[in-house]
Order: sequence, then structure tokens, then C-alpha cells
Amino acid sequence: MARKTVFIDFSKCIECRACEVACEREHSGMSFISVFEWQEMAAMALNCRHCEKAPCVEVCPTNALYRDKDGAVLLAPQKCIGCLMCGIVCPFGIPELDLINKIMGKCDLCAHRRAEGKLPACVETCPTDALIYGDFNEIVKKRREKFTEKTIELAKTAERIPLTGV
Amino acid sequence: MSERLVPVVCPYCGVGCRLYIRSVDGYPVGIEYAKDIPNISNELGKLCPKGNAVVEYLLAKDRLKRPLKAKEQGKFVEISWSEAIKEVAERLKAYAKDDPNQLMFFGSARTFNEPNYLVQKLARMLGTNNVDHCARLCHAPTVTGLKAVFGAGAMTNTYKDIEEANVIFIIGHNYAETHPVGFRYVLKAKERGAKVIVADPRFTRTAWFADIFLQHYPGSDIALINGLIHVIIKERLYDEKFVRERCVGFDEVVAAVEKFTPEFVEKVTGVPAELIIEAARTFATAGKGVITWAMGLTQHTHGTENVKLLGTLAAICGYQGKEGAGCSPMRGQNNVQGACDMAALPNVFPGYQAVTDPEKRKFFEEFWGVELSGEVGLTTVEAAYAADKGKVKAYYVMGENPVISEANANHVMHTLEKLEFMVVQDIVPTPTMEYADIVLPAAAMLENEGSLTNTERRVQWSFQAVKPPGEARPDWWILSEVGKAIGFDKTGSGGFVYNDAADVLREINACTPQYRGITPERLKENLAGLHWPCPSEDHPGTRVLYKEKFLTPSGKANLAAVPEYKGPVEMPDEEYPFLLTTHRYVGMYHTATMTMRSCALKKRWPEPLAEIHPDDAVKLGIKSGDWVKVVTRRGAYPIKAKVTRAVKKGVIAVPWHWGANVLTNDALDPVAKIPETKACACNVAKITEEEARKLMEKLPPLIPKIEVVRG
Repeated sequence: MARKTVFIDFSKCIECRACEVACEREHSGMSFISVFEWQEMAAMALNCRHCEKAPCVEVCPTNALYRDKDGAVLLAPQKCIGCLMCGIVCPFGIPELDLINKIMGKCDLCAHRRAEGKLPACVETCPTDALIYGDFNEIVKKRREKFTEKTIELAKTAERIPLTGV
Repeated sequence: MSERLVPVVCPYCGVGCRLYIRSVDGYPVGIEYAKDIPNISNELGKLCPKGNAVVEYLLAKDRLKRPLKAKEQGKFVEISWSEAIKEVAERLKAYAKDDPNQLMFFGSARTFNEPNYLVQKLARMLGTNNVDHCARLCHAPTVTGLKAVFGAGAMTNTYKDIEEANVIFIIGHNYAETHPVGFRYVLKAKERGAKVIVADPRFTRTAWFADIFLQHYPGSDIALINGLIHVIIKERLYDEKFVRERCVGFDEVVAAVEKFTPEFVEKVTGVPAELIIEAARTFATAGKGVITWAMGLTQHTHGTENVKLLGTLAAICGYQGKEGAGCSPMRGQNNVQGACDMAALPNVFPGYQAVTDPEKRKFFEEFWGVELSGEVGLTTVEAAYAADKGKVKAYYVMGENPVISEANANHVMHTLEKLEFMVVQDIVPTPTMEYADIVLPAAAMLENEGSLTNTERRVQWSFQAVKPPGEARPDWWILSEVGKAIGFDKTGSGGFVYNDAADVLREINACTPQYRGITPERLKENLAGLHWPCPSEDHPGTRVLYKEKFLTPSGKANLAAVPEYKGPVEMPDEEYPFLLTTHRYVGMYHTATMTMRSCALKKRWPEPLAEIHPDDAVKLGIKSGDWVKVVTRRGAYPIKAKVTRAVKKGVIAVPWHWGANVLTNDALDPVAKIPETKACACNVAKITEEEARKLMEKLPPLIPKIEVVRG
């Protein structure tokens, strides 16, 4: 099954935090993507990976976490008891506790936007295309294509070595 | 209930991004990305954090809703619009009768072209050329410098050309942080194989993406650029054909850069000689190159010379008049270009027609039907000093905040206290408003409509998305009412009778050659806008300037020779051993009047941090997070320290959004009259939090509490 999620190219992130602000706007004041500065001036965004084998879904005692038809891991707020289990097992520490409602909150890949055929807000806004929404295989394929194109381009512009008489 | 999606232009930086505002019954509920409009400046509707938070400041609790009149400083009573307009008109008229040069008008780069046209029309019809706006504090040298070299002071190319360039030279400009959406085009070029050269005193986010990074000292730009030209000439890498056919003054340039050998430049700028040679070779041999700069280059006493040298550098490499090349000054606010085009400047009429030129003056005298002054007016900083001496007695400030934005802010506040009459027209209370006699509540940009000109000369129409709060009115309406009340109540171009913003734009079409074909009808139809010059209604607009000839009288580029190296006016000494420079944050915008009223932005960029090199920090015993006091000859400023290798040893970098201009130097560039905000001598000392709080009380509050009293 082709599952789509948000991939992050940290070499393009300029730490402008547009994704955070966009996410916060779409999710009533809570941002489920965070930008970290990991070396002086270099940064990357981190969000839910919607893992193939998602520990959060596996451990949820009330089945509040589930997958929708696109494969995104969503949370049913009415079932969540705020036990924090998902936050503990997540290797990225993604699900957070909403302190007011005492339930968890996490990235839903902008379910409401996807229903209208739009991209998640963070991807839509990223000024440098550091965030890409897509299928893993497609993205890998595109990167390979780009690499090949670049190599061909380089070979074309390189000094023309006469191939005859090699 | 009616939900609408209205196309607007982002009210923040100069990129001029398009977006949709979602509104219900005239009340903003969200935004949508403009993915479906082709050829706009923000490809695929991309937005930066400020663009994403655009709705929040509209809903600020302290928006101005009714006209106010001061009882004493900072205390106001509510009055009606008719009273306010009557009082403003009468006072202005009285000063104008006495001596029109007692008046000073401020246009605004944050509002549309139409109010800027009207504010300068009002000033000039009252008989004075004392009108200016904040471009004086950011890009005045760009206008004067580029005009001297190429004949006009605007970006010579577009974003498309940055994307198509093979080399991009970014100097004095933190592109990634100030214009994230514009930086997209640099990264796209880089992906294609273009080289990026960055010159900046700080290791910025932009520098992270540089192939060659030149970290020079603040204010040593002349030496650096001359050094690059020296290498290019010495190694004969320049475009001989272009220089022969389209430039004059090359021999003088050769003589002027003689002494700027890479070794000499290394001593002055602190950039290794090999890097200068490598940068020069990379830049000159790329075939297509773009130079972009911003305030790091212009806010100096030698800003005009800096810009002239950059123009020269671009010209000798042949990077003019073709696609994928050019000079791109990046404007900070969404309508700096437009406010300049509309002549909210003391020396020109709309379309850069000099006030001293009798022919142009005659045209406008006939057009507006009054006698006009041919004397060049005062600039912002000059006005402050004239007011101090009592020569200027009244300010009309539209959407400006000089208390925070002008260099040597303590002096500005002292001046504002001395004024006899001050009108402030704005959307929220600003520190400047505390000194006002009359406050006129304006509608924010998204609450009214009009045209805007972005940094690449693209004129776009922004539609009204939401209703203004209370009795707030559009800027053009307020100015037209004031104009009518003063007595300019004729219809046509001789008066201030307008039905809407489109009416004003039609008048602009009639008197501004570059805007002749940019009619409201065309703009409303074509959301991507038009690039000026657009001389007639069937003209498609101009993407690249100077394809055949330059706009100088001879038609050739006047190469500039600057043989003398000048550093900042104030260099470090024993008493003030550090060099202070200012910078900005991606999520904050200018004097923070709008961004500090947005939760999402305030949360992420809550306070300023002074950047200091680890070696200096050790000497002074400062750790990250400590409170320090930065002191210059003009003032003291408490701030938290951030120890980082992003700055050079001996340099302190402070963001200016929170009022750091109490420190900066107001020494002026002799041509462009821009103050040297980017470099001055300072001292740093560790202080306790208590001392910091005490110092802070003396500073103007960013978000002042305007008291409205009864009676």
C-alpha cells in the first residue's frame, strides 16, 4: 500500500518556523511539528513519522489511536484517557499532552485539509521545500532521478574527452 | 452567514506574497494558500511564519477604534471623526499660512500606493516638500546609488532572474531570515548548480548555504567590494565588450582600485586574501550573476558609495540588461518601492521627477492647480533636528513609528516632546502615539483595498477581506477628508474628492510615467500584477530593465570609482571597545507593532538576545542567558546575552525590533541622508536582573497602554 507522510530535507531548512505557525493555526493553537537548531545556525523540523509499525498504536489501551484510509495515525479524542503511554513508547517523543483537556494530541497530517484534496499545512507553506508530502518510494525514486540528471548534466559540461582512440 | 475567500497581498515584507483570507461576515477566520494563481512572487502560495500568522494582528484587543485627542501626554479623550478632521485641517492650514516648511509629513511603506500618493500631494499642495518615509532609514542609498550608476533606483530584475542566475552574491543581507520566501529562489538556483557567495559580519542562516562566505567587519564594505573589483580587473575577468559599449568611467575605476590588493583588503576587512580572490573569480566567470543586498550594506555613512560600487561590480561583469542577471536590493516592507515611486520623498514628484526641475514642477502645478515649492524638503533625521531647533513645529505621521525605528531614539523622543502639534494615523497604539495630539484610527491593510508595489517592481491589487474595527477608516479616506477640510475640495486632480482607492490610482496613472498603463481595472483582473515601467495600457510590463540602454543622460552606465576607504564614523576605542551591529529575526517585523500582537510569533521570538563571541564572553565573564548592559555614546540598553561563534571577535550583534535604536548612531550619509545604524562603538558589561529591569523602565514601551479618559 502506498502510504504518504511528510518527509524532511534538513539541508534545506532555514529555521523560519513557518511550518510551526501554520500547524498551530490549523490545530487551534497547538503545533505538532517543531523546528530544532542542532548546530549553530543549522536546523531541522521534526514531526510524527506515522510509522509503518507504530508503537503508539500498538500500546494504546483504549484504541484511541488508529489509522485512517491514507495510513495516517490519528487520535480519537473521545476515547483518549490521557495515560501518556503513546508519548513514552514513541521513539521521537511526538504525542503531547493537551494540558487543558488532559488528552493527547498529535500530528494528523491535516486530516481536514486532506479531505478537501489539499496538502498538510506545514508542507504547503514551507518556503524552501524542505518538507515534502509523499510516498517513500516515490521520493526515493525522485531523488535518484535528480542525481542521475545532475550526473548527466555534469558529464555534458565537463571537458569533452575524445572517446575514439581510448 | 457568508463565507468568502478574498485574494490579498501579505502585509509584511517586500516579497509581496499573495494569499487568501477566509472571512465570515467580514470577520477573519483563517487563511488559504494561493496555489492556483500563476506567476505570483510566492510560487505555489508559499508563506513564511509572518504570512501564516497574518490574521492575528487584525484581531488585536487594543486596535484603535475611535479618533482620540490628547489631554496630556499619553492620556486621550474620544472625539468624533468630524471634530478630529476639522481640528487637523485647521491646525495644518494655520501652520501652512505662516510658513509651510514648519510642517513635516511621514508616508508609510506599510500601506498602499494610494495613501502615499495622497500624503505627498497634501504636503506639496500645502506648499512644502517636507515629506519622507521609512525608506530613508533602509534603502535611501539604493535609490541614490543606483540612480547615479544606472539612472534609476529600483531592482533591475525579478525573482525569476535570481532563479536563473549562475552566481548569487548576497552582501549585508540575511536573506533566509528577512525574506524566507524570496530565499526560495536562491535555493532553487543553487540546486541547479549556481554558486552562492555571502558577505556578512555575522554567520547568518543565509551564510549556512554559501559556497563562499566572506565574514568582514561591520562597515568595511567599500574595501571588500573594491578588493573584488581589483582582482577581476587584474585577472582581466571582466566583460570587455560590455564595458566598452555600455559603460563610461572604467579607467577611473582601474585607478581607484589599484591599492585594494587582496592583502590590503584582508587587513581592513578580516577576510582571508585567498577567499577574496576565489570569490572574485567565481563571481566574474559565472556568465549570469545577481547581486542582492539589504540594510547591512545601506545603513552606513558610506551607504551610497557601497551601492555605487555594487552597481559597478555588476556592470563590469556584464551582469545587466539580460535575463538571469542584475542588481536586487531587497526591500523590507511590503510597499517601500511603491512609497518611493509615489514620491513620499522630499526631492521628487511621483515617478522620480525632481522637484528642482522647473519643467516637471510646471506640469504638477498645472495638474494639481496650485503653486509648488521647488526647494528640496527635509528627510526624517533632518526633520528631527529641525524640530529640535523649533523650525519644524508639526508632524503628520501616517503608519510610522520613529521612536523605535530611527537611529538615536533618545534624541527622537526629546524632539517629539518639543513639537507643537502631532497627528498619528495608525492601526494600533505605538510608542510614537504617546506624543500625539490627535490620533486617527486607520483600517489595516487587509481591511481595505489598493495597489502595492513589491521589491521587484511588481504592482499588485489587494482586495478588502474583512471589516475594519469600530470607526477605523481607510488611509485614503482619512487623507481625502483632511484635504477637503483644508479647502482642496475641487473634483479632478486639483482636489481631494475621491470615491474609492481606484479613483486615486487613476490619478496616479495620469501623472506617473512608469505607472501609466497600470490601471485599477487591469490590476483587479490580473492577480499576478504588472512590473513597472508599463507606459501604456497595452504594455505587458517590464521584467528586465536596461536591455538596450541605461536611463542615465548618456544611456551608458556611470561606473563609480571610490578610491578612499572609509570605515564607520565611530570606531572602537578604549572607552567603547566593541563594534555594535544590528540585525533582525525572521518572525519579527520592523518595530514589532504588528508581530508583537500575534501570539504564534510572540511565543517563538519572545525577547532579543545580544550575540557575543565566546572569547569576548570569557573576558567579560558572561554566559548565555546573563543580563548585560550595552552602552554607547547615545544610550544604554539592557539585554540578555547569547554566546555564539556567529559573530566575529570584537563584534556585538543586537536585534533592533525591541528598541535597540537608543544605542545607534545617527551620523548621516551625505547623499542619501541615511543614519549609520549598522555600526558604532559600544561597551558591554554584565548586570543583574534588577538593574536590567530598572534600565528597561527608561526605555519606550513596545506596546504602550494608551489611557482613554472621560471628558
